[in-house]
Amino acid sequence: MKKIININFQGRVIPIEESAYDTLKQYVDSLRKYFANEEGRDEIINDIESRIAELFSERLKRGTACITDEDINAVISSMGRPQDFEEQTGGTAETANAYQSSQQQTPPPNYPPNYNSNSVGRGRLYRNADDKIIGGVCSGLANYLGIDPVIMRVLFVILFGALFWVYILLWIIVPSQSLQTNITKRLYRNADDRVLAGVCGGLSSYFNIDSWIPRLVFALPLIIGLISGTMNAIWWNWDFGFAPRIITGSLGSTLFITYIILWIAVPFASTASEKLEMRGEKVDLNSIRDTVKEDLENFKTKTERWGQEVKQTAQELGTRASAFGQTAGVHARNFASEAAPLARRAGNGVGHVIGVLFKAFFLFIAGIIAIALFGVLIALLFGGMAAFPLKNFILEGPGQNMLAWATLILFLGVPLVGLITWLVRRIMSVRSKNHYLGYTFAGLWVVGIFCFVFLIGSFARNFKVRMPVEDKISLVTPAAGKLYIDVNRANLEYYHGDWFGFRFNDEMPVYGVNMDTLMLNTVRIKLAKSKDSSYHVTRIRLSQGNTREAATNTAQKIHFNVEQQDSLLYLPEGFAVSSSDKFRGQQVLMVIEVPVGKRIQLTEALKRYNWFDINVNNRRGWNIDFNDYNDESYGWEPNTEYIMIPDGLKRVTELDPVELKNGRFKIVIDADGEKLHMEGDFENKNDKNHYRYKQLEDSIKEKVKDKLREELRVQDSIKREKKLKEIIKTSASDTKEKNSDPAEEPLTNNHLLSPLMIFSEI
Amino acid sequence: MRKGILEFCILSIIRRGESYPSDIVEEMKGANLNIFEGTLYPLLTRLKNADMLTYRWVESNSGPPRKYFSLTEKGQAFYNELEATWKELANAVNALAKKTESMPDTTNQNPSF
Repeated sequence: MKKIININFQGRVIPIEESAYDTLKQYVDSLRKYFANEEGRDEIINDIESRIAELFSERLKRGTACITDEDINAVISSMGRPQDFEEQTGGTAETANAYQSSQQQTPPPNYPPNYNSNSVGRGRLYRNADDKIIGGVCSGLANYLGIDPVIMRVLFVILFGALFWVYILLWIIVPSQSLQTNITKRLYRNADDRVLAGVCGGLSSYFNIDSWIPRLVFALPLIIGLISGTMNAIWWNWDFGFAPRIITGSLGSTLFITYIILWIAVPFASTASEKLEMRGEKVDLNSIRDTVKEDLENFKTKTERWGQEVKQTAQELGTRASAFGQTAGVHARNFASEAAPLARRAGNGVGHVIGVLFKAFFLFIAGIIAIALFGVLIALLFGGMAAFPLKNFILEGPGQNMLAWATLILFLGVPLVGLITWLVRRIMSVRSKNHYLGYTFAGLWVVGIFCFVFLIGSFARNFKVRMPVEDKISLVTPAAGKLYIDVNRANLEYYHGDWFGFRFNDEMPVYGVNMDTLMLNTVRIKLAKSKDSSYHVTRIRLSQGNTREAATNTAQKIHFNVEQQDSLLYLPEGFAVSSSDKFRGQQVLMVIEVPVGKRIQLTEALKRYNWFDINVNNRRGWNIDFNDYNDESYGWEPNTEYIMIPDGLKRVTELDPVELKNGRFKIVIDADGEKLHMEGDFENKNDKNHYRYKQLEDSIKEKVKDKLREELRVQDSIKREKKLKEIIKTSASDTKEKNSDPAEEPLTNNHLLSPLMIFSEI
Repeated sequence: MRKGILEFCILSIIRRGESYPSDIVEEMKGANLNIFEGTLYPLLTRLKNADMLTYRWVESNSGPPRKYFSLTEKGQAFYNELEATWKELANAVNALAKKTESMPDTTNQNPSF
């Protein structure tokens, strides 16, 4: 006895058995799920439905009263089940994933409810021989507790220290048995929806949420780390150590490790049955209704069984048996397809773990490098922005300004935006077939490179020529015979301070800046011997520029005035460069000429002066040399009293104090291991070594060395000449004996003859 | 089945004139190629969405109106393309499969230098 209902199917009234209707509905639902991701889903379903309707019509025309189960099965087998489509179309990934689970996992209402009787379930704890990585402990435990083995495995791996012995113990104690898992939903890595390893995709289908949620959770510490790292790098200090901090941060590392663990532990859903398991049952109204209906059906069959005739029961049993046979068949097939990858997985278990660890390590390193690069890029970009107020001092005209902006935006900004875009698109799984976006980014970046090169080029041109402006500053000879040089620190505090995160400390050549004034302290002091009996100060202002005129012009604008108070000579702390003057490597060289017998002392404050050279070379571009006052070439140290003797500047402590009182000097110089004794009067002997600022390296040491070398050279040449003479004599006598040629004779008189000439003559 | 071959078969049937999906299935069955209608419909829809096919509703006395599919110009071009590829492939495979002579003996061959 079967209930017949009328349904409206494709605009037609079709009488159908209730059970047949259920099957039909499930079939159509399965199609709907199968084609869920297909573009013309509704149309396809509609087409298929109308074809089914047509088939029904044909059957009804032939005289059948209603559509029966057999009819439905015939129709379905002619139309094909979703899993059959997959075989025919070669299993395209998109359509393969959503085949209705209820066909396999929940038995249709008229099947015996507990057909899955071979499942061991909660009976006893076994190790699972079918699904194991090491000993099958996790899998067995999971089966016992009715949870996903993967969760168990992750738990064991995370709590490795605590659970290691538990595992070993269970491994030994618990017997192994082939367990048919009763779990309908399992955690897989999703092959179709993945960014890295499909972990997030699998999680999302396991928890039935959108895949971007787990992705965001995993990526969040990374993003936060990136942002905070960038903030740190820009606003607090220039510290690039933030990249590892992202990984090592507690939350970040936990999630990172979790991801790696899931990657190792969770299998990839590659076959259709695995994909189905991954999705499991969808908890929606349909399945709830199905469950309720199933219960009712159970109740109904129970009551029926009580009151049914034997024949009816037999019939029922018959259908059941056939249905059971069918499901058993399906099950067996599933099992076979499941068993093959399982066996493979078990065999490759160890290799898989090692492989994954290697991959994880590689990605870890690659990730760190990528993040570091990203950080550097951001730092460069923001660094460029921070340095932008400086542009007024460096750049000239709208052309250079435009190039600078273009460089900043295109050369530095575009890769950053591109990288972020790529990351976001990757996370959101947005993929477009056209690569216009990529090409645009690449094109803009190339333009940026050109801008950068042109900017550097035009920038370097402004430093092509260096011109000095030399002027003498008159000085009153101090009464004490000694000159102190100090820095005038009148408005020191005004210029100091933080500026856009730069702390201008003593190491910087730039010690203060605002929007239209840049304070430079690129000053160098050179001490030299005066040719007469008074102190002289020469101020040489240097500047670079595009042309000689421009350089001279800029040099003349340097405002650097000295101030004398008897024996004290005050130098300004630096000089200002206005934004209209531009920064063109301005420098000031102060040459202080000290007369013989007079003393000089420089204060510590003069060490604050910095000096750097911008060298422009047509071939090599340009480079900046930062010199330090610790450099030997300066020839003086602060807070040391120096005295000028005819051979150059000496420390007072080096001279013999007794002789010094008598107006004479006596000094021992250690040159190349030989002690040289020098002494004399403090008289102006009108030395020819008058100081010229171009010969910066002159010093007494060098001179002594030169003298010694000269002497050695002379001695050497005399020795050589003697030897040469001997050789020539002997060779000449030899040739005489052999050839007795009179033309060879004059050779003996030639002292300058080289050995080479002798050989050629012979 | 290899991707594209199914499309090729379907197009080669439709190319001969307007056809109804179940006719296509019959035709293919006749050629010993079994195909489920459930496979055919999505393929047809895809081809139609790609402007390869167009269809016409025809009233049927045995059910709902039927869709009769026919080739568009683009579909014809695609078919020609597929045909060329198929012939090439078939020729190549046949040529390889037909060869009967044994491979040259390499054991005593020394490289010339």
